[in-house]
Amino acid sequence: MTQQSNLLTKLGQVAAVLLVIALFVALGFWQLQRAADLKNSLKVATTIDSVIVPLESVTVPRQAIAATALNRTISVTGKYIANFKAPNQKDGAGKVDDWEVALVQIGSDAAILLVRGLWSQRLLNSDIQPATEVKITGLLVASQEGDRAQNTSGVISRLDSAVVVSLTNLDLYDGYIVAATESTRTGTLERTRVTPEKLTSRISGFYWQHLSYVVIWWLMAAVVVYLPFYRRRVTP
Amino acid sequence: MSGAVKRYRVMAIIAGVMSLLLWFVDLPVVYLFNNEDWKSKVAWIPFVHGWVYALYVLTAIQFATKARWPLKKMAWLILAGTLPIASIAAERRVVRQYA
Repeated sequence: MTQQSNLLTKLGQVAAVLLVIALFVALGFWQLQRAADLKNSLKVATTIDSVIVPLESVTVPRQAIAATALNRTISVTGKYIANFKAPNQKDGAGKVDDWEVALVQIGSDAAILLVRGLWSQRLLNSDIQPATEVKITGLLVASQEGDRAQNTSGVISRLDSAVVVSLTNLDLYDGYIVAATESTRTGTLERTRVTPEKLTSRISGFYWQHLSYVVIWWLMAAVVVYLPFYRRRVTP
Repeated sequence: MSGAVKRYRVMAIIAGVMSLLLWFVDLPVVYLFNNEDWKSKVAWIPFVHGWVYALYVLTAIQFATKARWPLKKMAWLILAGTLPIASIAAERRVVRQYA
């Protein structure tokens, strides 16, 4: 009876050790996968596709923007139905400035945020009436995550359709467009365009950081394997 | 044995400090404040904490084995490295008993 319970205890211990080892090895593989995903997403995030495609062909409103749609050069036609100031925006060169952002209505029921340029240059062109159709080309970028300012009337804290969702009944697109050109029936609107902030991946951490976590988890698995032998060696 | 105690003590103090930084600096910055600049400035904390904790585990295992502690007590010592103050409290207890 005692022998049987000893055997059961031993089996239980072996099972527990194997479970812990499997857990650590699996965590290592998980971090390895994250490192690979990060590398792939960085590749997608930093490659700009300059072929112009219609916005509606790469994404749809009310759905998270697909990785394949990011950084595509898109064309869209719409009407400016609201104008916002987006303070403290960093451009591709790292320069911080306030940007002019419009909400563009596309068709009858959709809208997307559009970075038109610097806030200080908003008076360079005559006002665009809400009925005026504007043809836009620009870069489709993922929504920002951190606030750069407080949301107040006419001011948006970040470039994210979530911050304007309460202001409109239209179906909003995820992400925003950084305008490269704007033109109306009367001609092209000339102003300095901004470049989007340095593109990054949406997976947190760094590639080497995930790889180092792989080393840690597998080291822990190795420690669990070696521990019984070490205890036996140290304890007479 | 004294070498193992010394190694454990050093790592317990470093792990304790890193846990304090993780719990009271990194986590509030990441989850309470929406500031990308601050987030990038504290990004090193979880990474260093991960490595320090791994080293803490190794020294805790070596010390607990040499002190002939049962596995359950060793597990508590290892877990102490995950909470702020706990590893420092564990280090104080080890010092009282073995130093």
